[in-house]
Amino acid sequence: MAHVHEITVWTRGVVKDKEGRDVANALAKAADKEGRFTQAFDNYVDLPDRVNVPVRKYARISDEEIEMRYDYENEKPEVVVVVDATMVKGMNILRGMNKGGVLVVNTDRKPEDILKFIPNKDLLKAIACVDADGIAGTATVDFSGSEGGVDAVGLGAGIAAPLLGAVARATGLVKLENLAAVVKNKEALYRGHEQTVVQTIN
Amino acid sequence: MFDIPKEREVPFAGVTPAPVGEQPMMITGNWRTYRPVIDHEKCNLCMNCVIFCPDACWQLNEAEEEVVWNSKYCKGCLICVNECTTAALTKTYELDFEDGVVRLEKLF
Repeated sequence: MAHVHEITVWTRGVVKDKEGRDVANALAKAADKEGRFTQAFDNYVDLPDRVNVPVRKYARISDEEIEMRYDYENEKPEVVVVVDATMVKGMNILRGMNKGGVLVVNTDRKPEDILKFIPNKDLLKAIACVDADGIAGTATVDFSGSEGGVDAVGLGAGIAAPLLGAVARATGLVKLENLAAVVKNKEALYRGHEQTVVQTIN
Repeated sequence: MFDIPKEREVPFAGVTPAPVGEQPMMITGNWRTYRPVIDHEKCNLCMNCVIFCPDACWQLNEAEEEVVWNSKYCKGCLICVNECTTAALTKTYELDFEDGVVRLEKLF
């Protein structure tokens, strides 16, 4: 079985739900443009999502057909994206990660300030911090596109765009030009790609 | 009516032990992005925060004559900051503090 790149997005219910969903969906769509096998979905365990509760969104990218397509959760995430930086205090966000993963955090603080809240940071290969709130402005609060519905707002109109740029910079999982073809706010995507602070740990 | 063996009994859904002071099965401290910080100099013990807090996270400590905040269950709704009459409460970003870490393995 080919290696499946698993991406887990931690976000907060309702207020940043759409942004977290956009990160997972846009990564899958951009990788799909490269002709890879992809999948993106919400977590069923977290529903019903209420304001500010921790929720997860998942994406999977593989060069061959994904055999684990009907698994509910990403057991071993390779990339973890945190849409709200305060979640590092509330959750074991790296759960299940094998050594050598990448963490992308939406914060205006330095990587050291985030790392001191992560007890299992030895698992990380690199951490990337991007001030997505500062680059893109406010988050979109919208339910369009959830649970397979039609996405009327569009992918990456808010803080998801700079976060996607940060993921492309820190991991190289997907190409930036493919993300730009998918994401609505292209300027924020490029700015996020440029302004991301990547710190290598091991 | 039904003769169910003890080991096959299933607990009723959503049941948590009660009455208890704190409910360890429903910790909501990790919902918080901003926390209320109290300035005891300004506080005149009007008890608005105690009354308005939906999760009873503000309690009066009668011996010390001050209101005490519970970081384990405060979800950062900031209703107390809104209701404070003397502006003794201010909202502060959660990452400014080392404490208040509620790291759950399961979500709920």
